[in-house]
Amino acid sequence: MKKKLKHMEPFDLILNILVCLGAVLNLFPFYWLITSSFKTSAGIFKMPPEWFPSTFHYKNYIDLFVGQPAFRWAFNSIWVSVVTTLLVVTCSSLAAYAFSKLEFKGKNILFALFIGALMIPKEIFIVPLFQIILKFNLSDSYMGMILPNVATTFGVFLLKGFFDSVPDSIRESGRLDGAKEMTIFIKLIMPIVKPGIGALFILNFVNVWNDYLWQMLIARSKDMMTLMVGTASIMQEISPNYAYKMAGATVASLPMLLIFIFFQRYFTKGITMGAVKE
Amino acid sequence: MKKALSILLASSMMLSLAACGGKDTVSTTAASEAAQPAADSGQGESKAEEGKATPEGEPMEITIWLTPSWKGVFSGDEPGADYDSFFVEAGKRYTENVNPNVTFKVEVIPGDSRDEKLNVAESTNTLPDIVYEGAFTLSSYYHKGSIVTIDDIITEDDRKDIAAGIWDNCQVEGSTFIFPFAHMPGTLVYNADMFREAGLDDKIAGQYEIATWTPDELKEILTTLKEKNPNVYPMSLFAMNNQGDTWNLTWLRMFGNKFYGDDGHLIVNEESGVKALQYLLDLYSNGLTVPGAESLTSNDCNAMFQNKQIAVSFTNSTLFTNLQTDMTNGTIEPFDARLANIPGEPSPNSFTYVSGFMAMNTGKEERIAAAKDFIDYVCHDPELVLASKNTLPVRESVTKAVSDELLFLPAYTENAKYIYNFSNNIPGYNELRNVLFPELQAAFTGQKTAQEALDSYVEKGNVIIDEGRKNSVIYN
Repeated sequence: MKKKLKHMEPFDLILNILVCLGAVLNLFPFYWLITSSFKTSAGIFKMPPEWFPSTFHYKNYIDLFVGQPAFRWAFNSIWVSVVTTLLVVTCSSLAAYAFSKLEFKGKNILFALFIGALMIPKEIFIVPLFQIILKFNLSDSYMGMILPNVATTFGVFLLKGFFDSVPDSIRESGRLDGAKEMTIFIKLIMPIVKPGIGALFILNFVNVWNDYLWQMLIARSKDMMTLMVGTASIMQEISPNYAYKMAGATVASLPMLLIFIFFQRYFTKGITMGAVKE
Repeated sequence: MKKALSILLASSMMLSLAACGGKDTVSTTAASEAAQPAADSGQGESKAEEGKATPEGEPMEITIWLTPSWKGVFSGDEPGADYDSFFVEAGKRYTENVNPNVTFKVEVIPGDSRDEKLNVAESTNTLPDIVYEGAFTLSSYYHKGSIVTIDDIITEDDRKDIAAGIWDNCQVEGSTFIFPFAHMPGTLVYNADMFREAGLDDKIAGQYEIATWTPDELKEILTTLKEKNPNVYPMSLFAMNNQGDTWNLTWLRMFGNKFYGDDGHLIVNEESGVKALQYLLDLYSNGLTVPGAESLTSNDCNAMFQNKQIAVSFTNSTLFTNLQTDMTNGTIEPFDARLANIPGEPSPNSFTYVSGFMAMNTGKEERIAAAKDFIDYVCHDPELVLASKNTLPVRESVTKAVSDELLFLPAYTENAKYIYNFSNNIPGYNELRNVLFPELQAAFTGQKTAQEALDSYVEKGNVIIDEGRKNSVIYN
């Protein structure tokens, strides 16, 4: 390490220090979240701030997991996020492949419509969407939370860029070898766009995990609540316990952290790959 | 590997579809769920005998929505106590004693998303049958026609047993929309230890009393506190958002301003209102309050008071009880916290958050009738009404019955004469809240004078009130 530092150019050294500072700054909110979850609500506001809890206050976690069905809420969050994301990846990759590689009538207009839909926030059509869910009797169910999030135009838009970067010659060579379209898609093209799939998986997972409004509207019984909704439903409006909230947020952030650790290779690769079109 | 992945993907989809079928198994009905048992009152039987209930009717499930208020049926110490315990138990008793055909589904909704949930329910005709909430938080819904009147279940005895100031919070143009059940009076809270250290012993009221100071006395107190203990901010002040704005509304009334004129329009920009805001601005500029009020929320100030960084702050009966509980269990370092009124001339002003039951306009007569019958039952049952002690009872009869348990109750009861109806039950009250704090921010940051800030508030606020009246089903 010392040797490495000695051989470092001054510019590189400064750059490294800046990167380290940036990393610390970015990690600080997470550190604050975790340490605050072990404080009392008033302790979070202490001035000068208590950088490390003087005494560890475990009651926030005990209240969350013993007094409430937090394990069930965590399971619901994971289940809804994982299933939604898997379905999104499947649907988006199929649609994006069609837009990128297949020729059909009205392709460009249809794609323009898809892109246009990106600009409509979900809040605009939440009432008709909710009405549809009610008609299908899907309120207070996993399907009610999952289905409306499956058709995401963002996924199609993101993956189309990746499919566009795959040379058409690969598809043609597959055809020459007698492969069917589905075989070409699964065996030849999909492995090439793996980084894009990874990026979409993470982005969508985070999006669904944090989709508070829709899950709050659909979940009616306590057992169907997700972690975000469940934690919010036990907060007294008049006297919110922030430490309790921090404990809930800490638990809620763990799966996302794990997902990122496992998929970060694809994620970073996917983001940079999508940025450059050869 | 790829095959395995495909199988996993397909299985997930299948399982997800299967999981959707689990819906019916998770719905909670009060009839089936065992809540904490409490002694039967026998009230239900008498109601059934009176023929108010309709046991021979079609079976129906009544939905109740509430935001977290208190835990347990009668006390948070009960095993398994939760925010829905009381409502589940009340529903269970109603089903057993009054009408076996009516069961209940109790749903606790997040308080900060109440409007989103209700607005979507309103737009999709899926309103719950009953909502238990604070009166002012739902005022816009009775102007929209989403809540039905309940005058037919209120008796003369109820009107006598509950103070007029409480009823004011529940009525518009003589019609009652909320059956009041409990309330939370708002006051100031002060650190009496700090007062003693500053030699202000004569300003400290009894342990279970509410101190009343004049505006001049308060200024004197804050000045002394600042001189004797410069490390502590003498008083809290906040205007970052609409949170806790009722205290700011009360401050603006301190020199006798009525806030609303006889025609229902805002008149707080009159001399007495401007004098009150100027009083606050003077305290602020002289360093007698916490700095940066424009970027502080009431919760920030509450936490600073708990951390002994502020000597005089705001509170309500629930916050104050929580503070004492936290001091007892060691969550907060103990100190001598006592109550005071927001000063005023000629008398102080006090307000209270009334909460109660509302029967929602679901458009189905038999459901509305069943909802009203349940409200009638729960608000008259001699045992169930005792649960209102978890905040503060609205009924004088209950107050007498539980006064030994609630040591501050006599002081709150005595203070009831200062209560005013802060929302005036105007249409658009929630929108009105959102135009006050930006004007207070402008005044605290010196962008506007007290007169300019209040003129601007009145102008914008009266537009909201007019608009609200135009769309109100009560006024049209």
